[in-house]
Amino acid sequence: MALPAGRLGTFPGGVRNALLIGALVALIVVLTLGFRRDPHDIRSAAVGKPAPAFDLASLDGTGRVSLQQHSGKVVVVNFFASWCVPCLEEHPALVRAWERYRTSDVVLIGVLYQDSVESGRSFVRRLGTTWPTAIDDDGRTAISFGVFGVPETFFIGPDGIIAGRHFGPIDEVTLIRGIDTLRRRP
Amino acid sequence: MSWGELGAGALRAALLFAAVGAGASVFAARYRDVRGLASARWCALLALALVALADLAMIGALVTHDFRIAYVASNNALETPVFYSVISLWAALEGSILLWTLVLAGATAFVAWRGTVAMPRLATTALAILFAMLAFFLLLVTTPAADPFAPSAFVPENGRGPNALLQNNPLMALHPPLLYLGYVLFSVPFAYAMASLILGEGGDRWLVATRRYALVSWALLGTGIVAGAWWSYAVLGWGGYWAWDPVENAAIMPWLTATAYLHSVMVEEKRRLLRTWNLALVIGTFALTILGTFLTRSGIVNSVHAFSLSAIGPLLLGYLVAILVCSSGLLLWRSRELADRGALGAPLSREAIFLFQNVLFVAATLTILLGTLYPLIAEALSGNQLSIGAPYFDRVEVPIALALLFLMGVGPQLPWHGASRATLERQFALPALAAAAGAIGAIIAGTRGSAPVLTYALAAFVAATVVQEIARGIRARGALHGERTAPAFVALFRRSGRRYGGYVVHLGVALIAVAIAASQSATVESEQTLAPGGSMSVAGRVVTLDAIRDVDEPQRRRVVADVRVSGPSGDTRLEPSFAFYPNATQPVGTPGISAGPGEDVYVILAAYDQRGKAWATIRTRVIPLVSWIWVGGAVIGVGSIIAALPPPRRRSVRAPAILEAAPAGAE
Amino acid sequence: MSAARAAILVCLLAVAGAAIFAAWPSPAGPEERVERIVSELRCPVCQGLSVADSPSESARGMRDLVAKRVAEGRTDEEIRDEFRRSYGDWVFLSPATDGPTVLMWVLPLALLGFGVTLAWSRARGPAAIAPEPAPAALEQLRARVAREEAADL
Repeated sequence: MALPAGRLGTFPGGVRNALLIGALVALIVVLTLGFRRDPHDIRSAAVGKPAPAFDLASLDGTGRVSLQQHSGKVVVVNFFASWCVPCLEEHPALVRAWERYRTSDVVLIGVLYQDSVESGRSFVRRLGTTWPTAIDDDGRTAISFGVFGVPETFFIGPDGIIAGRHFGPIDEVTLIRGIDTLRRRP
Repeated sequence: MSWGELGAGALRAALLFAAVGAGASVFAARYRDVRGLASARWCALLALALVALADLAMIGALVTHDFRIAYVASNNALETPVFYSVISLWAALEGSILLWTLVLAGATAFVAWRGTVAMPRLATTALAILFAMLAFFLLLVTTPAADPFAPSAFVPENGRGPNALLQNNPLMALHPPLLYLGYVLFSVPFAYAMASLILGEGGDRWLVATRRYALVSWALLGTGIVAGAWWSYAVLGWGGYWAWDPVENAAIMPWLTATAYLHSVMVEEKRRLLRTWNLALVIGTFALTILGTFLTRSGIVNSVHAFSLSAIGPLLLGYLVAILVCSSGLLLWRSRELADRGALGAPLSREAIFLFQNVLFVAATLTILLGTLYPLIAEALSGNQLSIGAPYFDRVEVPIALALLFLMGVGPQLPWHGASRATLERQFALPALAAAAGAIGAIIAGTRGSAPVLTYALAAFVAATVVQEIARGIRARGALHGERTAPAFVALFRRSGRRYGGYVVHLGVALIAVAIAASQSATVESEQTLAPGGSMSVAGRVVTLDAIRDVDEPQRRRVVADVRVSGPSGDTRLEPSFAFYPNATQPVGTPGISAGPGEDVYVILAAYDQRGKAWATIRTRVIPLVSWIWVGGAVIGVGSIIAALPPPRRRSVRAPAILEAAPAGAE
Repeated sequence: MSAARAAILVCLLAVAGAAIFAAWPSPAGPEERVERIVSELRCPVCQGLSVADSPSESARGMRDLVAKRVAEGRTDEEIRDEFRRSYGDWVFLSPATDGPTVLMWVLPLALLGFGVTLAWSRARGPAAIAPEPAPAALEQLRARVAREEAADL
């Protein structure tokens, strides 16, 4: 049924139309908001909370490595694995940071995650890792820290609270900045 | 001339023709100018030819490994086999948009040459809108947003190769093109609907003209979704077929509203009601196809299809906003003329059931949309990051699905304009018995959980109503034409294809519902670490690990576990594996599947001894009835074909009710 | 009451009864408790998969931890809290029913209720009567019908 020519439509007011327009505007706003964040960047829930205690076997078999041993110091915990390519990439940065801070009240601990002891040992031997390394063979420690995947690095202050977390391969600048911030704290 | 120059030039020329075509169509529609229409037609054809040329150029570049083009360098390598080189056309963002543009150009040309013959003014206006949409997509592929022929910054020795997941299975050839065909073909009903609103035609001609487009688009989109589910099941290797991933949701939302539309269209045809609602559904479905593309491509949601971020996100969002603003503006402007003069007038009628069914489909769609976007909203409002996954969607959507199953059985049995209680009771007695039988049978078979029991009962209900309807049709044909049973059966599907094809689709849906209920509620799973020679027993099947070995292929290295599964007719050999691709940091797992009518045995190689291959962790799932999902998908496809085919020529013309009533008053 | 109506009512009762019977919660053994908890936890390294569905090693580690805690006698809430401490609310696949996220459960219901009420009023209202067309329009309609039937639309 065609309309008589020349008759214009009208905009009826009404709650229904207002609701519809409001809903569409809300949808568009929500979608635009999505651009502000990277959906792959999941924040760590562990930051700001006391670091979970751990007591693990050391990788070289000479005893245990525990967080308790280093209370009062700045502790940097780095989760790694031998099959992890970015772990290989970040290793030089860790070496330089260790060189810089090893004589002071800072300790760097490497934790082997989702890997076999033999592979882990040959990895640290090949790369010349000189800081304490431990094995998290049942993955409990990693879960307690909220690890998403290797490599992941946690900064723990002298008060035992996790101050920061870095996901992915870490660089020297971030390491130094993180450690310095924690050292300056009372 | 290189492939890149050829392709880029063709696309720019196509953009020119799309713009000219849009102008010509507007002119032709406004002034009813025949020459304007002729130019528009030729513009459409030339645009199609040029876009096809560009697609062929890209395929040529991929097959000849022309790494001067950035897209080829990122998605192809010297070792990539020819078949995978060709289907890499839709492996990543730019190529996908190029394919989309091709389908859209095809639809535009089809409407230009066929559509404008039957309804010149309406179709020409719709053509103008299609040209505008084509111009937008051509803009995308000729600007840095999604230019597939952008040159590489430096030409590498060897390309990166296709994404590991996409190389694993030839089904990659089917899934994206099916989805795109489904998405893009819905542009045609949308364009006609907008044309109808612009021209102020209060009638239903746009519905009639685009009925087949809508049905074909719905069928292709549905098939694409089932193909995606099969790919998730057989290739991704986690043991399931649907994870409520944002991209899966993006595909199913327009399909749900399109299903609602296919039914409410019948109410408009029969009763001339629900005009505004149908227009809203068309706009909504089309907007959801764009929203779906936006969610998949913009990178704002975390999903399996996480493509790289580019400027295309804001552009698609802008396009979506423009569509929503223009179409809802037009609809609101015309809504007073289109408003129904009254209600349906009969709560127990087919049209009322369709209305309720529509409400359910739209509610289902909106809840999926809410669940998909909620993490975004929550983070923006409170900074809190949270997840909405399968447990939420399952809990919310299953009750809606059960209600829809019920209506699917009730609707076709109710006549238009309503029926008396007594008629209804006679009609539903047998199906109700079938439902009870289904429910009790399920309990006897040991089904746990109310959702599966209700699914089986309702599926039996639907099947019984379909059988009853077909029997009634055969009896009617016997009485009217004296046909015997077998020819009457065939004639039902040939002459009333829309109705009986629809029944076949309903049967397919019921089958899928049963398969989903069984596979979700009765799957048995076990995981064990075995040495070669060791075996595990799951739900009566024995799975033995025979060996773990390396397989070297030109484009990848695989570690395969040879596994033997005991079965009713002997042992089946499966080869679940890990594939290591040079450009991937993690290996891609492939399951071994022994499919069967009663259950599938699904074997995953979860881990293995990397040093000496002395052990492997095997996870086995015994999944009942899952293969019937694919069968159900095929049944839906067959039903859609039956519904879409035109009936054989009839000698008598059946006039609509309004003409039959008129002579008494008008003459 | 007619026989048909009685039959339908009996069948409805049978179906409802069967559904309730199947839904009766059986005492959950430890394995079932683990399955239930683990299907609501999100695997940290996968795309939205639950720990129950994911074959990854991280998921297996989390499942083992849940099994250990269940064996130790912890309640569901305690186990969930442990994971919340490590991963935040992100690790749960279903929004909580207490707090602001209860809206996620209420909204679908509200939407459905609203829609069904609207549909019901449209279904029950007085039937729309299509006005009769003028004779000229009638001829046009007849011609159009003939054309469209011929074109098999």
